[in-house]
Amino acid sequence: MSTDIQISIVGSAGDGTIAAGDILKSALAGMGYKIISFDIYPPEIRGFGKCIARMRITTEQVYSLKHKSDVLISLDDSHAIPHAAEVRECGAVIYERASIVQLPEGGHISAHIGPGQLPYPVPVRELAEKSTGANRSRNIVVLGFLAGLLNLPDEAFLKAIAQKFKRKAEAAAASEAAYRIGRDFAAQTFKLDDVVFGPPVSAVVAGASVEMISGNAAIVRGALDAGIDTFFGYPITPATSIMERLAAEMPKRGGRLLQTEDEISAISAVIGAGFAGARAATSTSGPGLSLMAEMLGMGVIGEVPAVVFVSQRGGPSTGLPTKTEQSDLHMAVFGGHGDAPRIVIAPTNVDGCYRCAGKAFELAEAYQTPVIVLVDLYLSNRYETVVFPARPPFEADVNRRPGKQVAGAQYKRYVLGGDSISPRAIPGEKGTMHVVTGLEHNELGRPSDQGEIHEAMSRKRHEKLKAALQHPDFTICKRFGDEGAVDVGVISWGSNFGESLEAMLKARGEGIRCAAMKVVMLSPFPTERVAAFLADCKEVLVPELNYQGQFANLLQAHIARPVTRLNRVPGEPMKVEDILEDIRRLAGCKAAQKAA
Amino acid sequence: MGEIKPVYLEEKLKEIEDSGRLDYRSKTLPTWCPGCGYFSIVEAVAASLCELNIPNENAVMVSGIGCSSRFPFFVNSYGMHTLHGRALPVATGVKTANDALTVVVMGGDGDGFAIGGGHVPHAARRNVDITYLLFDNGIYGLTKGQTSPTSAIGFRTPTSPYENPDRPLNPLLMVLAYGASWVGQASAGRPDHLHKMITQAMAHRGFSYLHILSPCVTFDKTHRTYANLGMQVRDLPADHDPTDRLAAMREAMDDVTPALGLYFREERPTLADALDGLVEKAGGELPGKVAAKPARKAARR
Repeated sequence: MSTDIQISIVGSAGDGTIAAGDILKSALAGMGYKIISFDIYPPEIRGFGKCIARMRITTEQVYSLKHKSDVLISLDDSHAIPHAAEVRECGAVIYERASIVQLPEGGHISAHIGPGQLPYPVPVRELAEKSTGANRSRNIVVLGFLAGLLNLPDEAFLKAIAQKFKRKAEAAAASEAAYRIGRDFAAQTFKLDDVVFGPPVSAVVAGASVEMISGNAAIVRGALDAGIDTFFGYPITPATSIMERLAAEMPKRGGRLLQTEDEISAISAVIGAGFAGARAATSTSGPGLSLMAEMLGMGVIGEVPAVVFVSQRGGPSTGLPTKTEQSDLHMAVFGGHGDAPRIVIAPTNVDGCYRCAGKAFELAEAYQTPVIVLVDLYLSNRYETVVFPARPPFEADVNRRPGKQVAGAQYKRYVLGGDSISPRAIPGEKGTMHVVTGLEHNELGRPSDQGEIHEAMSRKRHEKLKAALQHPDFTICKRFGDEGAVDVGVISWGSNFGESLEAMLKARGEGIRCAAMKVVMLSPFPTERVAAFLADCKEVLVPELNYQGQFANLLQAHIARPVTRLNRVPGEPMKVEDILEDIRRLAGCKAAQKAA
Repeated sequence: MGEIKPVYLEEKLKEIEDSGRLDYRSKTLPTWCPGCGYFSIVEAVAASLCELNIPNENAVMVSGIGCSSRFPFFVNSYGMHTLHGRALPVATGVKTANDALTVVVMGGDGDGFAIGGGHVPHAARRNVDITYLLFDNGIYGLTKGQTSPTSAIGFRTPTSPYENPDRPLNPLLMVLAYGASWVGQASAGRPDHLHKMITQAMAHRGFSYLHILSPCVTFDKTHRTYANLGMQVRDLPADHDPTDRLAAMREAMDDVTPALGLYFREERPTLADALDGLVEKAGGELPGKVAAKPARKAARR
């Protein structure tokens, strides 16, 4: 039997909500299930903000979280009450039995559990105090209760707990005691018949490894596997963990990482290191990308390779630092002054984060330009089980074409003609000295403001990127669902594609002829392939997490055709149901037109 | 005053040719106004690179934007002419990517202490092994003569037509406070001294800052002229101790009669040393390119 179970843990900042989620995920992934998870937390470190750890555990490949959870665990009723309605019929709600304070009417979650839902009151605080002498292990007690309720093996949980507290022996012992008391309590209660785990499926190709990993961790792994030499960055949510992980890993491989004084300094150093021949990168979020715009333009005109990982959050300005949004597409693709073409790639899942991060270094070197890898908070913090290949699928060294240089002649760093990609020399190499400048320049790299040179060089910088649309072993865009003509085509990008694909598959299940396309390369835009897909669709739906419809704008700048936009800015992933409803409406709308 | 000997043009040219320093000048003619102080700086830099025997392809000139920042085009080496105010972080990137390179940064007072002011403390405190030549003419020349952060109070320019109400910064004092490991001052009006100071700055292992006073002959006819500079500058006292940062700061306080010479010098680990230390702590292996380091040190001696 296949498994598809979603569990939510809701608590207040400081309750250990996210930590409990981490242990649960790692235990279940260790058992061989596929996991997709996304946590929500407030911008404050402590205080009373709401934390949600939410995960979907499956045996089949899925692309998003479900709208309804099978199990809800409340560590703080005031936060969990609004989520009680998200538990499906015959699903379970696990909560604190006793209340230590006098609650107003309706303040206890038991008053909000629907008639079809199963209530599991647990004396969490009492058990925590009994097992550890403190009530800080409440989050582990409920995990033990969950394991007992769902008949999950203890070994997986104990291993995950030991892993989580590997440097804190005392906490590990207390957690184990809390886990056991919670599990034993579950034996005294009635069973949950409707939520059942089937056997896990683990089919791993020899040499490959399966890991449960977040989007940001996958980006780090891609960068390391591509041989990153130097990294310069400035902390900013939700990109910080990229820099933190690299800070731990790069020195082990002889790499160099520096925390700079601001994002301007970070991108400047990346451009300097790229000029000097290193594989260099930085990571940031929208506010930092705003600051980097000018230097990115320098990278474009100077034709210097650089990689920028951008994890979007709600904007503009400081906006919603801990909420997800896809509203920096305009800036990533068009940001900065002048005609400044660059490569922008946006992975749609955690596996894609790994591939895009590694490929970004290849693309930057092959086409001698800055490359932006655009993700968002949802993808950065989302965990998925990913199968990593035995050998990294990235080129270690891209040919800089030094052979093109003519002996004896003056070195032309920006020679025109051919595929518009010029040979690139780096400092230290003899006979190829040149100055890289932010001024418009001739083939030798000397400043020039002549009209014909600016025209030729502008053409060069745009034309050379066309080849990126054919870059080997890289998914530029991909179609899913029905072949040939369809009634509704869903086209989307980034983290939001998972929900779009899930909705399309559900619509197909309902008998609607439909297909979906993910677009990974946003710049240069794969106009031909997208146009071919759109030509097959009677109706086109573009769902995305921004108010302006930034991807729809980009699409329509390249392909003139009407599309239906679905824009949401709730700060969290789009609901599959919302997309599905639009697909149904568009399919019906077409049928209605036919009837008329 | 000793006996004044005549110098013949042909002899002087031959002397320059024989020195080999012309190999360090590019064939691009400088874009500066006739009489500009920067001509003597580019000559001095070429002579210093030559004296230190640095291979052309191992030298990288990095600049921002301004009259002085056109500099890399006039030197026969690799170079980067970057954005206004961003030369220091770019140079930090170049140097971090390849220790074997000799990186020289140049820029004006506006580039370094107005728009780029936020980067100077960090390059100094990290002790990035680069040389920063600050060309201070107290004016924005490239945009035709506006007020700069080192312009005098009362200075009249198109952006301060009544008078400049702001007091000038004291970059020397700031850089000493930021923790630079080599700090000196020179004047474009004294090219031989300037050349000696640049050579010392480039030979220093760590962040060396040389403040170069220079006139803008086109847009400032009243304040920082050759004549005024000549009357104002003095030498640092013979008993000045360049290992005493406090004494250096005391000297730097005097911006009425600025003293030329070496203010401060100390040996301490560079940014690269610190980053290599992290690799050791993490149990990693240093990449091969770092092996080029001793060769570079030898070339400098």
